[in-house]
Amino acid sequence: MARQGLLARLYLLAYNSVQFIGWAYCLWLVLQQLAQAKSLDGQYAAAGKAVSFFQLLSSLEILHAAVGLVGGSPMTSLMQWAGRSNVLFGVVAAVPETQNRPAVGAMFLAWALSEVIRYPWYAASVAGACPRWLTWLRYTAFIPLYPIGVAGEMNAVYDALPFIKERRLRGIEMPNALNLGFDYFLFLKGLMVLYPFLWFRLYSFLLHQRRKKLGSAGADASKKRE
Amino acid sequence: MATIKLVVKSRGGRELLPDGLILPYNATVDDLKARFAELKPYFYPSRQRFTLPPREGARSGEALVSGKRLSDYGLEDGSVLVFKDLGPQISYRTVFFWEYLGPLLVYPLFYFLPQLFYGDLKVPEKSVAQNLALAYWTFHYVKRELETVFVHKFSHATMPILNLFKNCIYYWGFAAYVAYFVNHPLYTAPPVNRTYAALAVAMLCQFANFRCHVILANLRPAGSAKGYTIPRGFLFNLITCPNYTAEILGWVAFTTATQTAAAGLFTLVGAAQMAQWAVGKHKRLLKTFDGRDGREKYPRRWIMLPPFF
Repeated sequence: MARQGLLARLYLLAYNSVQFIGWAYCLWLVLQQLAQAKSLDGQYAAAGKAVSFFQLLSSLEILHAAVGLVGGSPMTSLMQWAGRSNVLFGVVAAVPETQNRPAVGAMFLAWALSEVIRYPWYAASVAGACPRWLTWLRYTAFIPLYPIGVAGEMNAVYDALPFIKERRLRGIEMPNALNLGFDYFLFLKGLMVLYPFLWFRLYSFLLHQRRKKLGSAGADASKKRE
Repeated sequence: MATIKLVVKSRGGRELLPDGLILPYNATVDDLKARFAELKPYFYPSRQRFTLPPREGARSGEALVSGKRLSDYGLEDGSVLVFKDLGPQISYRTVFFWEYLGPLLVYPLFYFLPQLFYGDLKVPEKSVAQNLALAYWTFHYVKRELETVFVHKFSHATMPILNLFKNCIYYWGFAAYVAYFVNHPLYTAPPVNRTYAALAVAMLCQFANFRCHVILANLRPAGSAKGYTIPRGFLFNLITCPNYTAEILGWVAFTTATQTAAAGLFTLVGAAQMAQWAVGKHKRLLKTFDGRDGREKYPRRWIMLPPFF
């Protein structure tokens, strides 16, 4: 159960509001670009900086979980943040040639749409005034958005792989003082194999949460986070 | 001898034994499990788990622990017990044997057969650090195997069979990961005196760890439940889990001796897992030895890593 005194609640309210505004702005940029390009191309150029900023900011959520400000395991928080950040900062940022392809566009669209629902829901829950429709939206929108997001992420990585391999991007070569070697290409290939399993676990968990929250009377504002 | 008839239900509420389970009221939990296994041989005792019916709002009730009696739980004629099948079980001893065997076999592969792992990189003569690392690593895991066979007292402990695969993947995987970098043709050794000093410290930690294991083994007469005695003597007077302390410091020393990031990662992950176990053990001991009703009070001790933890 989360420790939530008044100061904590004000802070969380502020944090979630800032994130909501931020991601609404990202969505705005994405939709603008979508209208202009009439396709999912060019999204990194249009929204990349904004998305990167707010994704980086969201690392605070790991801290929140670690100090008990919110419920949920810090490990889960870390893994989810690291997954997205790896794709955004590790892969997409490193390969200009593939940054503006539709995969990245789909990813940004799915992320932004999810976040402009998730953050208001958190804010409203903290404020103790969460309308039923918002809870419904928060626990329903993910059903199409998560698969689209994951497909976008995996595709974006897949697009970038040949460049990463050829240029040995983000790798660490030996010899060095720490005897450390890292092959980012190999790492990503391994990750892509794991992705469907990791993602499926998260998806099932959310579906289970959905049944719990929407099954019974979801009208009362719930302070507990998953 | 007063006997009672117990009703056994599955977690879904289904009655599993039409005639119930008839036992003396002061029979032990082990008697209960043996009798259940007679009636349902598929469920050998170590895969049986019995709990009291859950209280309002709780997910499950208290579990019946080996060594205790039915009367300790207030079980009487007509009481209900909830049964859960824990799945195929494997003994701790068996798991330990296989998980520690991997490192013994896998690490030397990288040392002796570099052509298998490093492509056509030219393999220079091995440094002192690499030679000593092989010796230390081998010694460490041989020690673990010997302790598994001769020292550790496992009593009834079993775990689900899937854990064998998880644990082996962890140990065998990390063995390969560390061995790959320490035995790499492009390996850079730290100053040799540092290696000597660090491995000397590591060996001290190994002896300390061994002594802790012997003390722990002597605490528990075979077959009794966990946490019956407060460990004392040697480092146990100061720390709840000094065996983990020595183990972690040993690996820190190994990392220093080899100056290899992979060894550092192995140390960190191991330390994190041991920290979790240590907290659990510390809490159990505090709970068992709460100082009330004539029981001893567990003394103030560090959990695993003084001075912080």
